[in-house]
Amino acid sequence: MLAVDVPAAANMVGTLCKYLGLAALFPTAVAIGYGEAFWPFLVAGAITSGGGYVLERLTSSSAGRVGVREAFLVVSATWLLAAAFAAVPYLLAGGEALGHPVDAYFEGMSGFTTTGATVVTDPEVLSSSMAMWRQFTQWIGGIGIVVLAIAVLPRLRVGGRQLLESELPGPEIAQLSERIRETARLLWVLYVGLTAVLILLLASLGWLGIDERMTLYEAVAHAFGTMPTGGFSTQLDSAASFAPASQWILAAFMLIGGANYLLLYRAFVRRQPGRVIRDEELRLYLALVAVATLALAVQLGSYGIADGEEAVRQAFFQVASIITTTGMVNADYAVWPAVALLTIFALMFVGGSAGSTAGSIKVIRHLMIGKILRRELSQTVSPEVVMPIRLNGTSVDERTLRAIAAFILLYVGAWALGAGVIAIDSAIVGADLGPLDAIGASASALGNVGPGFGVTGPYGSYAPLGDVSKLAMIVLMFLGRLEIVPVIVLLTRHYWRL
Amino acid sequence: MKIFVIGAGQVGFAIVEALHEEHDITVLDTETSRLAGLAGRYDIATFEGDGTSRRDLATAGVKDADLVIACTSRDEVNLVAGMFARREAKHATTVIRTSNVEYVELWREGQLDVDFVVSSELETAHAISRIIGVPAARQTDVFAEGQVQLVEFDVEEGASHEVVGVPLREAQFPRDSKVAAIIRGTEMLLPGGDDRIATGDRIVVIGSPEAAQAWSTLLAPGESAVRDVVIFGAGRVGSAIARLLLEQGMSVRLIEASRERARLVAESLPKARVYNATGTDPDFLERERIGHAHAAIFAMRDDAKNLYAASLAEVHGVKFTISIAHEAVSVEAFEHAGIDVSVNPRGVTAEEIIRFAHDPRTKQVALLEGNRYEVIDVTLRDTSEYIGKRFQDMPIRGALIGAVVRNGSAIFPHRDDVLEAGDRVIVFTEAADADRVVKAL
Repeated sequence: MLAVDVPAAANMVGTLCKYLGLAALFPTAVAIGYGEAFWPFLVAGAITSGGGYVLERLTSSSAGRVGVREAFLVVSATWLLAAAFAAVPYLLAGGEALGHPVDAYFEGMSGFTTTGATVVTDPEVLSSSMAMWRQFTQWIGGIGIVVLAIAVLPRLRVGGRQLLESELPGPEIAQLSERIRETARLLWVLYVGLTAVLILLLASLGWLGIDERMTLYEAVAHAFGTMPTGGFSTQLDSAASFAPASQWILAAFMLIGGANYLLLYRAFVRRQPGRVIRDEELRLYLALVAVATLALAVQLGSYGIADGEEAVRQAFFQVASIITTTGMVNADYAVWPAVALLTIFALMFVGGSAGSTAGSIKVIRHLMIGKILRRELSQTVSPEVVMPIRLNGTSVDERTLRAIAAFILLYVGAWALGAGVIAIDSAIVGADLGPLDAIGASASALGNVGPGFGVTGPYGSYAPLGDVSKLAMIVLMFLGRLEIVPVIVLLTRHYWRL
Repeated sequence: MKIFVIGAGQVGFAIVEALHEEHDITVLDTETSRLAGLAGRYDIATFEGDGTSRRDLATAGVKDADLVIACTSRDEVNLVAGMFARREAKHATTVIRTSNVEYVELWREGQLDVDFVVSSELETAHAISRIIGVPAARQTDVFAEGQVQLVEFDVEEGASHEVVGVPLREAQFPRDSKVAAIIRGTEMLLPGGDDRIATGDRIVVIGSPEAAQAWSTLLAPGESAVRDVVIFGAGRVGSAIARLLLEQGMSVRLIEASRERARLVAESLPKARVYNATGTDPDFLERERIGHAHAAIFAMRDDAKNLYAASLAEVHGVKFTISIAHEAVSVEAFEHAGIDVSVNPRGVTAEEIIRFAHDPRTKQVALLEGNRYEVIDVTLRDTSEYIGKRFQDMPIRGALIGAVVRNGSAIFPHRDDVLEAGDRVIVFTEAADADRVVKAL
């Protein structure tokens, strides 16, 4: 007997798609404003909303309640469909750069998962509305499509916890104590607020004449690329197009985007800075940023690539961008020396904090794994010693610790498998990929970072890769965004059968 | 004074034993057999009834009581009984016993409507902490907010000849201290200048905390301060001891046989090292170098287990063993078996509760040698015949003034010092004379 109520899941997916389609109204408006073709967006919105509506109606009679099991299916299906929705305008009007179906879906998945990996070598060829759509998909995907739905739709209140936990980045360590709907709402309020502040800051640099290239359009586009730690840019040379002041602001907001939103809420709204400063994950996160920035700045200086403020700015920007898995750059790190490349490669596995918009493994899991290892070593010497593992003074239960260890194993496994597929496929189709480039592409996609190394570096694109590699990367981005486990459970027999 | 005791268990028994001579006691318990045992021995009123029943309390006459003591082994019963007693007997002082430190905290915050809460665990922990503070001591009590310590020592081979074997007037005592009593066999001596301390004696010293430490070094030159403690058993008593010792900056290791309990304690005491082990596995004791600990405390639930584990620990090299003795009879057995100090939680609790039965001028009382001797902290009456007398002129009447607390600070009196009205004096006396001494002062 089937253990999953598929009609119930499909019904909810239908509802989510119905509302998701409304997102197409924004690029439609931009297209009208710039006098560009708006029909691709309207078609995409109509297909998504219409399809969602039909699905909802077809299943409404037989659908039961969405429970824990159905939640996994809902989240996975929604994200696969959302990427398809994003791909429709690319397919219809993406031209040479995006017109191919695999490329369009790649770009769509990259957008919603806030990866920022692109097959568009020169984004400046895209129309203003198309470029904005690309940015906007990242912004919607940032905190989560389902999280948004939970915050807005009363229907999702029931069973929302599992949905939220499947979609929200990071392990669940006693942070979702508030009601689910409150948490979801709070996350979005904070997210929208921060985005608004960033747009305002960037735009005022433009208005004040500090950064002449920072128009309101660019301010919005880059806020949409930064706040969700996405990484797409409208510019060929990414953030390097803008003045140093803009770059500093962007990097700072990337770091904020990579911090725990619930913690930010405590700091800003509830005014509990003490608790925030003592947070172990935040401390490690900032320490890693500081150390990596210093390491890169020293290397840039000693190799004569940059010096003074520029060296620090380039180091800080790249570190903030890669550790938070944003992927926006202000320099072509692909041409940096080997140690710098390895530093960047290592940062791809760090990720931001739990409860942020960042991808990858996340600082908290590294922290917990470190504590687990320390305990293992102690217990090797004294098997009887009892050492509860603590985070910020509270002990973490063993099941959560096991889940963290399992996640890291799955993560490394998925990365290795992805790297293998990309390397073999590149050899077959004759793409010019070095060994670091292949494993970098896999790590970058799985971590939702974006750029890789070599031809797939920050000023290159994934266009030279074969279709199999691109499909592999689509899977990796998808897995990385939903943190593997909720997707992998769908492949187990135990999930489907009683 | 009319005292109403709810619960005729070990604590109730010890309370009755200590107070029955001077006070009018009524004991309430649900079990007739226990009441019969008490009534057969002491001249008290007994009443069979339930402490949680307001009607039973009223029938037993709780409303005439001056002091209500709820000391059953169950916290909930004591809490309810204490609350009802408060309603019924408006002028009585209510004291309840609890085994849960949380209730003590609640009481301190003013959330429990009783006058005093005494926790066996906390009292036991304090008793043990005092013993550890003066390693050579058998028992210690503190008075005047810790400024005065009363310490019982066993004089053994190896004690310094500055104090042993010489007449007391010639001996080199640590400053600010006094030998209050010498116990030789079953006899107690209030020593004069010609008496001598001999090996095998048990002596009682009153003095400042520094003097107590100095005595400890004089009597047991080898023993140094305890910094590293192993506690066997992490139940309520064990973890209360661990918490207190950790607060004092000691390094504490806990050994607990139950996995679940070990985990709980490890979570609540981050600074302690907790092992999930029985404590009787020689490999474990060897591997974790338990023998190197300065002191081992045995706080398991079962006296027999404590005794065995303590013996094993001694075999593994632990020099200083302290054990909890849940049954009063175990104290002797433990001493016989070579455990250095035994603490009976119920005895300690009873002692703490008894303090409330004394004259309002009396602040604190300690019992020594199985209730034979008392140490009383009492404020001098304005009309006392002792005011203005020099110490050397005072008659010895089976009591000794060990220290005087004047304006909040302790003075250790010399021959020419004089007592003033309003002084608090710390007096050592035989229990039978305690009342007379208090009256005289």
